[in-house]
Amino acid sequence: MSTDEDTTTEPVDLAEGIDHQVAMVMDLNKCIGCQTCTVACKSLWTEGGGRDYMYWNNVETKPGKGYPRDWEDSGGGWKSSEHNERNPGEIPSQEDYGDAWEFNHEEIMYNGSDQPLRPDSDPEWGPNWDEDRGAGEYPNSYYFYLPRICNHCTHPSCVEACPRKAIYKREEDGIVLIDQERCRGYRYCVEGCPYKKVYYNATQKTSEKCIFCYPRIEGEGPDGETFAPACAEDCPPQLRLVGFLDDEEGPIHKLVNEYEVALPLHPEYQTQPNVYYIPPFAPPQHSEDGESVDVERIPRNYLEELFGERVHDALDTIEKERDKVNRGGESELLDMLTDTNPARKYRLEVFDDD
Amino acid sequence: MSERSGKKTAATAATVIVCLVLLAASVGPAMVSARPANQIPVESVSADAQPQDPTSEAWDTVPAVGVPMASAPSSVPNASDTSVESLRVQSARTEERLYLRLSWADGTADRNVSGPRRFADALAVQVPVNTSARPPISMGSDRNLVNVWYWSADGTTEELLAGGPGTTTTFEESAVETETTYDDGRWTVVMSRELESSAENRTSFAVENNVDVAFAVWNGSEMERSGRKSVSEWYHFPFGPGPQGPPYESILWTIAGLAIVGVALVTVKAVQKN
Ligand code: SF4
Ligand code: SF4
Repeated sequence: MSTDEDTTTEPVDLAEGIDHQVAMVMDLNKCIGCQTCTVACKSLWTEGGGRDYMYWNNVETKPGKGYPRDWEDSGGGWKSSEHNERNPGEIPSQEDYGDAWEFNHEEIMYNGSDQPLRPDSDPEWGPNWDEDRGAGEYPNSYYFYLPRICNHCTHPSCVEACPRKAIYKREEDGIVLIDQERCRGYRYCVEGCPYKKVYYNATQKTSEKCIFCYPRIEGEGPDGETFAPACAEDCPPQLRLVGFLDDEEGPIHKLVNEYEVALPLHPEYQTQPNVYYIPPFAPPQHSEDGESVDVERIPRNYLEELFGERVHDALDTIEKERDKVNRGGESELLDMLTDTNPARKYRLEVFDDD
Repeated sequence: MSERSGKKTAATAATVIVCLVLLAASVGPAMVSARPANQIPVESVSADAQPQDPTSEAWDTVPAVGVPMASAPSSVPNASDTSVESLRVQSARTEERLYLRLSWADGTADRNVSGPRRFADALAVQVPVNTSARPPISMGSDRNLVNVWYWSADGTTEELLAGGPGTTTTFEESAVETETTYDDGRWTVVMSRELESSAENRTSFAVENNVDVAFAVWNGSEMERSGRKSVSEWYHFPFGPGPQGPPYESILWTIAGLAIVGVALVTVKAVQKN
């Protein structure tokens, strides 16, 4: 039947052979760059054992070079939406990731040194080296924070890159995992991921990556309770929604597929990420004498570079809904974006009976 | 000519001839061009001569085969961009073990894989599990598996089983032993394994047929790994019966030597009679 309703309910596009697809929406307007997510992830999964330099979750300042440095210029992904030819990519250098620095804690804390606290080495780059630098000229400088994890893509070029098929997209929820038994550390996935979200562990001699905290979402904890990934649960402003893209009753599906205000990062890489972002708003530009002027502070073309041309419609939609609420109206969209109820923000058990 | 001087001449001639025979017997085998194509001769050596040591003198008399190496066909990026063009292969056996001494030029010894962009130099030897049939060269097939002896300059030696590209699994315990040296821009690696094997899917060399063997080398500093490697064609160890092995060569040279001695003696007799 072709009725008006059909326009909003196109079937959700899942990867072949996948029952459901986990997804996350991050509202960039709420990120304060506190790195609690980074630390939550690190202390759970990447402490020691060759993992010190890895941040499966990182938060970088945009505009900025990011982590690893200049990852956006490092290749990878697909040549087209046909997904039959991959773009060549490069493995970032250790310098581009930055080392895990050793600090002079011992001297200062125990040996009474009055030296400043600082790394023992003399680093020239590291994660977040360009934090809060951003771009633009005073009084119209601008920046925002961009938290990043593996996107558990629908067309993961990391999976395609592996000659041993050691990376796979698991059937039940589309989480992309590396079989540590099969991996021989060739690092084609590292270079093949355009987001540089696979990391080589030189101690284990295998590659490792974000696992979407699958033991937490499977309820593998002490009390058998289900938890969202640690980066989401521990975020002070609770800016992440976690659930399934194909859960049509959930906010993620509505934000991504109905309102189309949650967008993938760099859609032109063609991997079809399942982490989506609400693009950032900023106060308008100021004149020399501090008056607000009607010019957007974060240039639209920069946002378009990050989120593709759909960013214009997304920003317009949100703006319209805000006006509506400002005039005393109701907005389902803004209700979803400001919801604080964890049961609605984290919908991880909806398909448990399948 | 007096009788005395005649005897002296004959004695000199005999000495010269004996020297020639000795020379022929020692140089002859090394000059043999009659070795069948793609054969790796297997010389018998004594275990006391320490053939596991790449610098052992035991290897001085073992003939070497220069094996041309070329990029393997593979779907990994830059697969045709490889750097090692030839491999020097020697093989020897004791009563118990088969030894391979492999040597190739590589300007940098890449032992350290401490960083994300660093790869170790590596070497692999491939033999079929079922030695009576020749498997596909690129790591066998599911119907004809191969054993792969894999050495990496980070210090590991693995014995792998494969049935096609990307299918390697490790044997629980490697039966392959490796000793290496890096000197003057060359790796030299000796790999050895017991000739006999009764383990499942482990190649036995205690056979009456030729055994196929192929080689692969990776240059770590060129980021060569996986399918990006230099490989050889199939070669073989001449374990089969028939006229191609070193014993046959030795017999030929012995017969030739005896013939020369015979002719020489006849000649000397004739000289003495005059
Ligand atoms: S973000 Fe990278 S590592 Fe994660 S699924 Fe996509 S291509 Fe693979
Ligand atoms: S914990 Fe939340 S607010 Fe803090 S950096 Fe991470 S995403 Fe941003």
